[in-house]
Amino acid sequence: MSGSTEGRQPGRPRAGGRLAAYAVLGVLVIFTLLPFTWLVLAALDQRASIFVKMPEGWTLRNFVDLFGDQDGFRLIRNSLIYAGGATLLLVVTTTMAGYVLSRFNFPGRHGLMLGILLIRVIPPTATIAPLYVTATDLHLLDTYHGMILILAALEAPLVIWIMKGFFDTVPIEIEEAAWVDGASRLRATFGIVLPLAGPGVAAGGLIGFIGAWNQFLIPLVLISDQDKVPISIGLFRAWVSYTRVDWGFLAALAVVYVIPAVAFYVVARRALQASISGSLAGT
Amino acid sequence: MRPIRGWRDALTVILFLTPALALVGLFIVWPAVWAVAQSFTNRSLTGASARHVEFVGLDNYARLLRDDDFRSSFWRTAWFVIVSAIIGQTVVGFLIAYLMAERPRWRLRFGAAFAAIFVLPLAVPETVAALAWASMANGTDDGMLNRLLATIGLGPVRWLQDYAFATVSVVNIWRGISFAMVLFAAAFAGLPQQVLEASVVDGASGWQQLRQIILPILRPQILIFLMLTTITSFGIFGLVYFLTRGGPGNETELVGIYIYNQAFRFFEIGYGSAAGVLLLLILLPLGAVYVRLMKDQA
Repeated sequence: MSGSTEGRQPGRPRAGGRLAAYAVLGVLVIFTLLPFTWLVLAALDQRASIFVKMPEGWTLRNFVDLFGDQDGFRLIRNSLIYAGGATLLLVVTTTMAGYVLSRFNFPGRHGLMLGILLIRVIPPTATIAPLYVTATDLHLLDTYHGMILILAALEAPLVIWIMKGFFDTVPIEIEEAAWVDGASRLRATFGIVLPLAGPGVAAGGLIGFIGAWNQFLIPLVLISDQDKVPISIGLFRAWVSYTRVDWGFLAALAVVYVIPAVAFYVVARRALQASISGSLAGT
Repeated sequence: MRPIRGWRDALTVILFLTPALALVGLFIVWPAVWAVAQSFTNRSLTGASARHVEFVGLDNYARLLRDDDFRSSFWRTAWFVIVSAIIGQTVVGFLIAYLMAERPRWRLRFGAAFAAIFVLPLAVPETVAALAWASMANGTDDGMLNRLLATIGLGPVRWLQDYAFATVSVVNIWRGISFAMVLFAAAFAGLPQQVLEASVVDGASGWQQLRQIILPILRPQILIFLMLTTITSFGIFGLVYFLTRGGPGNETELVGIYIYNQAFRFFEIGYGSAAGVLLLLILLPLGAVYVRLMKDQA
């Protein structure tokens, strides 16, 4: 009875299977999105609380306040300085390194690539205590440039790999043809290869930006000056002080904080994936 | 790629590599090396031993291994990794990738929409993820989870007080699903469709196909993900610290939080560095396996 499968094609999944699949995915969608409901509703609520509820009067007031308010503005500005500065530094340094790693076969290159990959997977918690001492010795605590340098350093291994991968996709013959035509080595590099690898360089920059923008542990340890803390620490301090919090303001800040992270993630996702799961061909 | 010809090439290589490697060397490699050196001292941030740093040999390590708080934070972290990363993220992420992967005679719609939604928990900053869950898991009647429970007549549950470990584990699963899904989805896209088709024609059930064809082929990607997520979850800090700060008591004090507390709450930098070195000793071999797996993929 239940064994009679003659009627259907072998192996054809029953419609029930597909329905069950949609049901499972539907449940997971709810699980995924549920935590965000409070964030969105509270940000638009004039009288927001820590609890999820329909706004008592929809408003964009919280967002306006955010940029008008000194604290809110300062947090956003600081995050932009840290992440923006780290990104600039990263793009310059990792483009150079990625180019050389892609183009020249020098002794130790292979080991260097693998070493960078290994460093990349080590979480900052393992070295945070000595990093603090290093930063102290170099007088980098509570400074913008110190944060920028350290954030860039933490993202550098990943971004070097991404940049190198993109230069690999630009055939060296193109470059060589330009030399033959009389362009200098540097002009060939910057005039021809960089434009071709441009989208990749941009993707690498975006990924570096996301990492620096999201950082929590590093500013928590290195920045104690309240005027210099980034958004991540602002959110944390507000949450810790709990009873004295303007929840609508906090939610709006979180939403503003999320936007570049998610937008850049969507744009650069492919590059990130390729560097994580992709092969190491050419090392 | 070409070999180095002449001193101009050599100079280019050195000049171009130096800035990036200097950053990595100064702020990642050097602190790690320094940590090993400092872990043999009694250096602290305050008090007498801040000024008179003494060599104490293996004392810090002996103390760590005797320290019940460290030992329990270590086992707690191992358990956290097993439950949330190795089992939770991997199984759910694989399930989603499996359901959404196009195979012979299997195609779901809205794939792009699903993928876009599932990626959100990872794309948002960890502080925002934690804040969102802080509201969700609020222990009073009005918390979202408790309201849902109330509809079936249960609760309220004080999630972050009475079930803190379970709650942060679920949060880590929630956040890591998409990473697993993305990695596995890429792997599924590379499956040989003819082989799958042939198995379907031969009458293999979905389960047989999964066990005997898909899983063996995807083994390297699964291993790579397991290594990555184990390392990442072992060193986790922000997501959990934001929600519980290691509490209540030290129920959610994972190794990362233990290190932070020792170094920056109790100002014992030498001791915290020693704990960091032990964490490195655990993670570096795993990292080496990861690098090895990636190499084999090439």
